[in-house]
Amino acid sequence: MTTRADIENLIARVAQGDRAAFKALYGATSAKLFGVTLRVLNDRAEAEEVLQEIYVKVWHNADRYTVNGLSPMTWLITIARNSAVDRLRKLRRAETPAELEERIADDAAGPEALAVAASERGRLVACFEELAAKHAEAVRRAYLGGETYADLAARFDVPLNTMRTWLRRSLLSLRECLTR
Amino acid sequence: MSDQDQPDRDDRVLAGEYALGLLSAEEAAAFEARMVREPELRALYAQWAEDFAGLTDDVTPQAPPARVWQQIEAGLFDTRARGSWLRRLTLWGGGLAAAAVLVLAVGLPDLVERGPVPPVDPPYVAQIAAEDGSLVVQAVYDDATGALFVDREAGGAAPGRALELWLIAGEDAPVSLGVMPQDAQAILRVADDLRGRVAGAVLAISDEPEGGSPTGAPTGDVLAVGPVQES
Repeated sequence: MTTRADIENLIARVAQGDRAAFKALYGATSAKLFGVTLRVLNDRAEAEEVLQEIYVKVWHNADRYTVNGLSPMTWLITIARNSAVDRLRKLRRAETPAELEERIADDAAGPEALAVAASERGRLVACFEELAAKHAEAVRRAYLGGETYADLAARFDVPLNTMRTWLRRSLLSLRECLTR
Repeated sequence: MSDQDQPDRDDRVLAGEYALGLLSAEEAAAFEARMVREPELRALYAQWAEDFAGLTDDVTPQAPPARVWQQIEAGLFDTRARGSWLRRLTLWGGGLAAAAVLVLAVGLPDLVERGPVPPVDPPYVAQIAAEDGSLVVQAVYDDATGALFVDREAGGAAPGRALELWLIAGEDAPVSLGVMPQDAQAILRVADDLRGRVAGAVLAISDEPEGGSPTGAPTGDVLAVGPVQES
């Protein structure tokens, strides 16, 4: 079992250019980060490439980890999620409006598919449950699906400004719930 | 600041939108500029990052195939396998030099292009220039860190083509230092085993297919050359 302190220690050693620590960090975290990239991209070949990019970033940026105030797994997950979303959006830029329609129709998985498992993050789950189901789904799709305001407006078939208002209110409710 | 009627004016909301990547490039840049100065804003962002990371709790870990690690290792540590890999590193390098806070935004290079800065008081410099001035790249090199800062002052890659930078040390065959990034200014990282060979060498730029030479040696015209000199 790799603890938070173990991962912090590995990142600190990677920052010193320790290749053995880098390998150990990869061993301890790559399955999780691969899972995250697969979830976002839903394409193994793309996810593999992005996973490589992620660890190259980790190697070059490990020395900056300590200044950012994030827990080590959050730092790694954020790099993974953002890198995957970045790739996803590049792929989607080439999409025609018809293809966009088709994609959105194709993966119209219900909220269950994106549900947060019951876990020690019970508070997060509870706060998402306080939101209207559609609003919670929009926030999850923005994070795990990399969807933009335009994507979400198309998906939920509402005007862009309505989507913005929904999402901003949802974020405010979430934050207030999470800090209660 | 919890005015329910105007959630768009609330920094808590703005930090959440930033964390989700929902802001436009301009809005994100403005947010990052504020984060540099405002620790409270950094804290708000960090809080969202922690909370949203919780959305991945139900993501099933999956062991990646062994080739992924092999490619990471080869790309970072094996100079024979450079090429397109170095290109990615240098693209990433574009985001590196900005303030430390950019680590928070790591992985959104589209949003955080702030431009790298050259090393202060670099030991080596080179002007890599075409005879007719159609391509001019100023380079400064720090042999202690292996950082090679390049500033493309004139010219650029032809459409659908790439500029690749080569190190020519003595009589040795050219060794790729990577494809020049699209950005005019960037930092390339010279591999450990090449660091000592840059002083006194010649840097050259060739015209290559997108992604760089497929062979590991220059395949197109050499467009510009310049000697590395002590500054």
